[in-house]
Amino acid sequence: MKEQNLKILVADDNPSDRMLLESMLTQLGHVVETAVDGQDAVEKFDPNSIQLVCLDVKMPRKDGWEAALEILQIAKEKLIPIVFLSGVSDPDILKKCLDVGATDFISKPYNPTLVSAKLNAIARLLVLQNTLSEQRDELSFLNQQMVHDQEVAKMVYERITHSNCLSDPALNTLHQGSHIFNGDVILAAYKPNGGMHILLGDFTGHGLSAAIGALPLADIFFDWTEKGFLMRQILPEINKRLHNILPPNMFCAAAFIDINLHNRTASVWNAGLPDLLYFSAGEPQPRLIASDSLPLGILNEYEFEANIDMLSYEFGDYLIAFTDGVYEARSEDNKIHYNSALNPLYAGEVSGSPFVWLENMLQEEGILENPHDDISVLGIDLTQALNNAPQSKPADVTRGVSEPASFAFCYELNAKSLRNTDPLPYLLQILTTVPELSKRSGEIFMILSEMYSNALEHGILKLDSSLKETAEGFAEYYASRETKLKQLNEGCVSIEVKVSADSHEGCLAIVMSDSGDGFDISHLNFDNLDHEMPFNRGLSLINQLCHKLEITDNGSRISIEYRW
Amino acid sequence: MIIGQFDEKSATATMVLKGRFDYSCQQEFREFFARYPKGTDYIIDLSSVSYIDSSALGMLLLLRDHAGGDTSNVVIKGASEFVISALKMAHFERLFVLS
Repeated sequence: MKEQNLKILVADDNPSDRMLLESMLTQLGHVVETAVDGQDAVEKFDPNSIQLVCLDVKMPRKDGWEAALEILQIAKEKLIPIVFLSGVSDPDILKKCLDVGATDFISKPYNPTLVSAKLNAIARLLVLQNTLSEQRDELSFLNQQMVHDQEVAKMVYERITHSNCLSDPALNTLHQGSHIFNGDVILAAYKPNGGMHILLGDFTGHGLSAAIGALPLADIFFDWTEKGFLMRQILPEINKRLHNILPPNMFCAAAFIDINLHNRTASVWNAGLPDLLYFSAGEPQPRLIASDSLPLGILNEYEFEANIDMLSYEFGDYLIAFTDGVYEARSEDNKIHYNSALNPLYAGEVSGSPFVWLENMLQEEGILENPHDDISVLGIDLTQALNNAPQSKPADVTRGVSEPASFAFCYELNAKSLRNTDPLPYLLQILTTVPELSKRSGEIFMILSEMYSNALEHGILKLDSSLKETAEGFAEYYASRETKLKQLNEGCVSIEVKVSADSHEGCLAIVMSDSGDGFDISHLNFDNLDHEMPFNRGLSLINQLCHKLEITDNGSRISIEYRW
Repeated sequence: MIIGQFDEKSATATMVLKGRFDYSCQQEFREFFARYPKGTDYIIDLSSVSYIDSSALGMLLLLRDHAGGDTSNVVIKGASEFVISALKMAHFERLFVLS
């Protein structure tokens, strides 16, 4: 180690001892300042220049021990080694020196070899301490910078992942991260035809690396929902994007819930999250919706399939989903196991809101204070969802020019197109170029989707909507819709659209016809809309929204006029 | 902690994991399976594993990739009820043989 020159304060009331030490130290290359007693030493001590203090034990006015204590106080967190000078070798006195914070002693009479060796040792200590404190400052600076960067990134991240409708009264959420960044994500967005898409996701790991995958996820979720794509179209797209961009060991366990207000159904998909709990007003125990797929981002686009559960909901029903941070608990011996405090929830012994109960439980168990994982809970109060009128957010009104528009087109889909595409988002995009229609995109989407599902489900696939009267039949209906659509070989749906508008008013006319045999239309009564019936609501809705509705050719041709 | 052995005859690597199988094993686990050539068959013994988290599931996916992806042969054995439930929640029985 390189020789270090120190600035040393020497305090000794004995002038000859003081001068002797001073000259020895000066010869070793150090700079020495002297003090005649303890008080003088305290006054001359400057923590910014003095690096080492040598104190005689017995001095007038202030002894070495008192001086040492005061000097250490002035030095604060700065390390200033103190060396006592003493002619005695009484162990009690030497112990007291160490007790007040001394680094070492030098005994009198001075031995030049020993003094030099001790000073070298102290110099090494100081170099080490300086390096350490420099590194500490550098680390704390870097840490501050990183925290700052993360805070900024977090703000951007939250704006992207929270620009949604989480404040809807039907939703209760609890979202607590174990790091600045939360690897859990809760997204909710209104669909253009009313109702809502909700996604609860849990990315592998914690912190920033877990959160980063949420950006593309949120991007697709919001964009595709706004454009009118359906859950079964959005999920494969999210999976594909995550599969392509995430490293192979990262994935996202997720639940996707699609709430349809007008036929009171919820489609639920669980991939890798703990069971979702569905509390039905009439049932003592919750129905469990177990994970049914591999998490998002693992399978490639050809292997991925979304098995979706359909539920028909009633007033008073409640759906709850959570990530495994809730499901797991850490016991006192630091082992992680299933959190048995959840038992009453599964057993249906919880009265009142399951969400409130769960939140209280997590609070009482101390899990919220000291989470070992990100924790998210999503509660959906389907009673509230029932009460909420379909809210259609006016789409981006500024994007069209406010010129009147008149155009017409015809869109024909053969069996292959019916199997593989959903024409509605594309139709909606064309129609919303008309500013007045863009403002009414919710209604327009609803009319289109009801007409289209009528043509596809009843006309082409010949599904019987009376199946939907019971809960089992309901699931069966949608299951057979999937199967029949996959096997579809012939059939055709044609959609004719005509828009005519001037600056005051306009009319959208749609004729949707299908190649099916039609159905018995004699019993249809649109004016008496029965809200308790989960089926046959589509046509009634169209009737309410449009100014004219005509059903001809045994129901295989439906024309509407929508005016503004 | 990971203990491993390689059976030349069957070209199968056995890895025995102990304690918590989580993020802290990341480095060790990856180095461990990468010692064996691509396409090796693996037996992952989890009988002494008390806890598994999602990063462990991610590590298993990495190993599966190394073992040949869709043509891989990776057996996970001895998993406790808790560990099995975590694997099943993610439907890993579609990607691995759970025995």
